[in-house]
Amino acid sequence: MTIWWLVLILAFIGATGIGFIWIAVSLGRVQGGGKRSLGQSIEEAAEDDVEHIFNDEFREELRNRGRLHFEKIIGENAMFLQQDLRLTTSQLNEYMKAEITQKLKEEFAKYEESIMDAKQLAIEAIEKTNTAIDEQRKALGEELQREVSEQKIHLIKHFEDNMADVINHYVLAAIGNQIDLTDQLEYILTELEANKAAIVEDISNGA
Amino acid sequence: MVPEQRPGLVLPPLVVGVADIMRLRRELDALYEYLHQAALREIPADQLKLPKTSRILDELALANKINLLDRDQFERVATELERIQDTAPQIHISFSTDPSSAFVGKIVDWLRQNVHPGLLIQIGLQPTLAAGCLVRTTNKQFDLSLKQHFKAARPMLVKKLQEGLPA
Repeated sequence: MTIWWLVLILAFIGATGIGFIWIAVSLGRVQGGGKRSLGQSIEEAAEDDVEHIFNDEFREELRNRGRLHFEKIIGENAMFLQQDLRLTTSQLNEYMKAEITQKLKEEFAKYEESIMDAKQLAIEAIEKTNTAIDEQRKALGEELQREVSEQKIHLIKHFEDNMADVINHYVLAAIGNQIDLTDQLEYILTELEANKAAIVEDISNGA
Repeated sequence: MVPEQRPGLVLPPLVVGVADIMRLRRELDALYEYLHQAALREIPADQLKLPKTSRILDELALANKINLLDRDQFERVATELERIQDTAPQIHISFSTDPSSAFVGKIVDWLRQNVHPGLLIQIGLQPTLAAGCLVRTTNKQFDLSLKQHFKAARPMLVKKLQEGLPA
């Protein structure tokens, strides 16, 4: 089978070569009759075919296709760009959010630390003030207690020393106008009797 | 030393102090002058009209049974009054209010019976006493007032106050 296939291929190639040669001879004959060379004839034929194939409509069609394709590419790229932009924006938002959150947390932590320090200072100051106030209050209380005691003792002593005067003044103010001397006669005579010896002695020995 | 009171002249309770003695002496002088003028004018005894004497003088004459028309007795009374004014012991007694004559009479009577028969008393006024009296002799002062009584009773008052105080 292989040999047969090989022979067949070689036959096909030989036939194809013969055909090209025949075409070339035929073309030489045509060109030799118009005083033009073969090369010129091939070029003209190629130009005619090009002009025939790439006419204005075909070019317009190609232009339209190219425009559409360009617009499509532009649209796709715009979409991709928009997606990338959205993704970037989202990531940027997330990043900004994370950064801001982090910064805020740090600032809040610092702020909280400052607040805690200030609170601690305030607590210490208040404790010192309370301690000072307690000491002063205690000292004041002791001083007040001492002065009250002294005043109490002084008042009691003053009252005891002047008790007779106070009571006498009270009796005099209360019933002084109602005491009749006649009612006091017995009391006066009793008191005179009690001091009789002293009175007699002083009168007897008086100057 | 105070000379002993002669038994010949007794002072009635109405005669309290030196002022009364001086008043008696002035009255006796006036009576003596009247009698002397009457003797000089030789007025008959039945026509002689004696001037009205004070109650003090009457009491003095009555207490001593003296006839003031008798010259010897008259002169003895005058002499005794002068001696009493000069030598009689005196004490000063202050009361819270002005005492009545009867009250003063009882006090004077008691003093002359128990202290000295010729004692002269000067009555004073001291409203702060409330009750009782203040006796001042030559050298001493005897506070017989209610105030002094309160002072003496101060321990009892303090005890009562302490009993009344809350525990």
